[in-house]
Amino acid sequence: MGRSARIRVSKMESERYDVIVVGAGVSGLAAAGAAAHRNLKVALVATGPGSFVTGPGWLKAQDILRASAAPELGEAIAFFCEMARRAGCPYAGDISTAKYLPTLLGDFQSVALAPLLLWNAEPRDGVSTAVIGIRGLSGFDECFMAERLSERARAMSSSGTYAARQISLSRDMGAPVTTLHLAQLFDRDPGFRKELVYALRAAASGFQRIFVPGMLGLASSAEQIAEFKRELLCEVCEIPTLPPSIPGLRVFHRMVSYLHQIGVELFRGFPVEEVEIHEGLCTGVRVAAPGHAMNLRGLCVVLATGRHSASPLNGAYAGRDQQMRPLASTGAVMARNLFIAGSLPDSGAGNNGDAMRILTGYRAGNLAASTRGNHAA
Amino acid sequence: MRLDDLAIDNCLKCSLCNTVCPVLAAYPPYPGPKRLGPELERLRREGISTDTDWVEYCLGCHRCDLVCPNQVNVSEMIARAKAAHRKPLVRGLRDWWFARPGLLGKLTTILPALSNFALSMKPARSLMSKLMQIAPQRKFPKYARPDLRSPAMTGNARQRVVFFPGCFIRYNRPGLGRTVIDLLERNGLSVEVASTECCGVPALANGDAAAARSVARANVKALARQVDSGLRIVTACSSCGHMLKTGFGGILEGDKKFACAAQKIASNTFDLAELLMAQADAGKLNTNFQHTALRLAYHAPCHQKSQGIGRPWYHLLRMIPGVTVEDMDTGCCGMSGTYGFKQEKYPVSMEIGKELFASIDAAQPQMVATECATCQMQIEHGTSFKAIHPAEILLQAYDGLAPTKGRKDCSIDECECGPCRQKPEGADH
Repeated sequence: MGRSARIRVSKMESERYDVIVVGAGVSGLAAAGAAAHRNLKVALVATGPGSFVTGPGWLKAQDILRASAAPELGEAIAFFCEMARRAGCPYAGDISTAKYLPTLLGDFQSVALAPLLLWNAEPRDGVSTAVIGIRGLSGFDECFMAERLSERARAMSSSGTYAARQISLSRDMGAPVTTLHLAQLFDRDPGFRKELVYALRAAASGFQRIFVPGMLGLASSAEQIAEFKRELLCEVCEIPTLPPSIPGLRVFHRMVSYLHQIGVELFRGFPVEEVEIHEGLCTGVRVAAPGHAMNLRGLCVVLATGRHSASPLNGAYAGRDQQMRPLASTGAVMARNLFIAGSLPDSGAGNNGDAMRILTGYRAGNLAASTRGNHAA
Repeated sequence: MRLDDLAIDNCLKCSLCNTVCPVLAAYPPYPGPKRLGPELERLRREGISTDTDWVEYCLGCHRCDLVCPNQVNVSEMIARAKAAHRKPLVRGLRDWWFARPGLLGKLTTILPALSNFALSMKPARSLMSKLMQIAPQRKFPKYARPDLRSPAMTGNARQRVVFFPGCFIRYNRPGLGRTVIDLLERNGLSVEVASTECCGVPALANGDAAAARSVARANVKALARQVDSGLRIVTACSSCGHMLKTGFGGILEGDKKFACAAQKIASNTFDLAELLMAQADAGKLNTNFQHTALRLAYHAPCHQKSQGIGRPWYHLLRMIPGVTVEDMDTGCCGMSGTYGFKQEKYPVSMEIGKELFASIDAAQPQMVATECATCQMQIEHGTSFKAIHPAEILLQAYDGLAPTKGRKDCSIDECECGPCRQKPEGADH
């Protein structure tokens, strides 16, 4: 076909989406997941990964309590857990449970849901646990932890015992070694995993359960972890360490790749500089890419940019209504196809915890999904 | 917006940059972007010398910048430290050449056949390894007669764009340059080839501030007039595009006249695929693609990601009926231009690429599409698959040619590009 032949051209909006979600914290992930599960074309725009990943990735019982008045809490959390399961980072627990899981400081925190690898670390009567540190690793003190845990467990009238052990790994990684180094080796190097299994097995002899610093891979799948557990011959639990905490990051990585897999288009690295609103209708967002901004068109937009980023709505925003839509200071709805999720500052409500973030994300994603048709131009 | 002066205080030391650094993952002794960037920058700004060889190990992939929740320009801080870094003689000399691919191209293409012969000889390569510390495992790309010219004006109603070819297309693969021009013309655009030099990415990557400044000035001068008359600039190399969009402003900082023109250039630069997608939005994309049975793996180069334009090539390739594309999405390939050619960095480069190689091997595509020339080299070096620029596939889809047949007008004898290497196989059936 020569160049002179009639050219067939087609008009398409390359960057047009049913739902645009801004922010990839837990709230944004839940919103994007909720919309994508309804077979919509979803874009996820984000700079950093949000604050969830810097923590252990668990949901505190107290956070569940704060959100318990909302009727869809159970549904939202169940959805989040299902998304995590499909992403290969399963959770255990539910909104009606609460158990005490150990922290880096040898304390216990009341937790309702946690990644599976963290879940079986509660005090157990008659169970002996080895807290295993790694030589050269900074930010993890197994002796301190074991001593504190024994004390705290006694105070809770548990007859479980804790003892400290340390293992040495042969490779020289420079100093100081962080859990990030170890997690990356775990991901990349089968030889390292093997060496780790041998060393841990030796240190675990005589114990029924071991605690290790959170380091079992940044991106490891549920199958890889299960295989590692099988080889260890005893129960293993991760202890979340200082930020960035590997268990939290793992949840984030797995969930983002899962969303990518189910067709969510990711735009990472640049903030949204403007949410475009014309006559009460949001038409899309402008992403501050280098050189020139990138315009993403959307039938609906969910903002989940968190407490710490500058709000793309600037000063105009003064709270949200029952339908999660942003209100101007006059009380009028700013845009009927724009939804506010997560802990975006909403006129004094402050930080409501991760359960509330997931709930509002899930709700906003669903609202956006069901609203989108009504506003198609 | 990136507010450079505030950036250092914006660093909360959350270490997220370390979690995405390809070098740190592959080579644990590397101090990582947090330390080499904002942490040492605090001291550098106090005038305390913190010079370390480690800054040479930064790839300049910008993944740290992209993951930072506070838009700290981590890699720019490391690039500045690189520019102030002192190297021993041999490494310094080698990197002086590596910083100037334009000059290298000009000299080698005086007699391309001779240069190619010399560069491919085993003794020459082992000599280069000994004298220049260039990895003997690497093959140099073939050089070609630099004969890329602006095509004759066709029809005056057409919208005109300026094509910035960059060194690789100009000196190694002018055939790809013609593919780009052809592609643009078939989409209603007439093309003018810019008389520019190297974009300056190799100069920055090799810590050569003077070379970077000089090419940036020359390029701004060469492009300012065209941009002023409203023309858009098109790049087909992701590193050139990245540089034109982000780099000149910083390099020419303080140079008021240039900085303003650099800003204009940045806002008028488009990646080829980005422009084609814009044509699609305007209803002007030629979608006359013939059915092409082809299974592709797509690798997005780091400097494509750092442009914040989404995945335009991925979407364009998927418009061709019969083509299936799998996005590898496995991070950096590890080549980073001249980095992978350096003897001491070769093992790091290959270790970084390991994950990408594994996912390409698992995907078993017919070929790999990626728009960065050095990503292509690395993929062909680390796997048994051909890697080509997606523009080649798109153009040939208009004519219903499977790209395995190679392009006839490829001007290079014994061309190393995927389609050309597959020519004999294509002749079998």
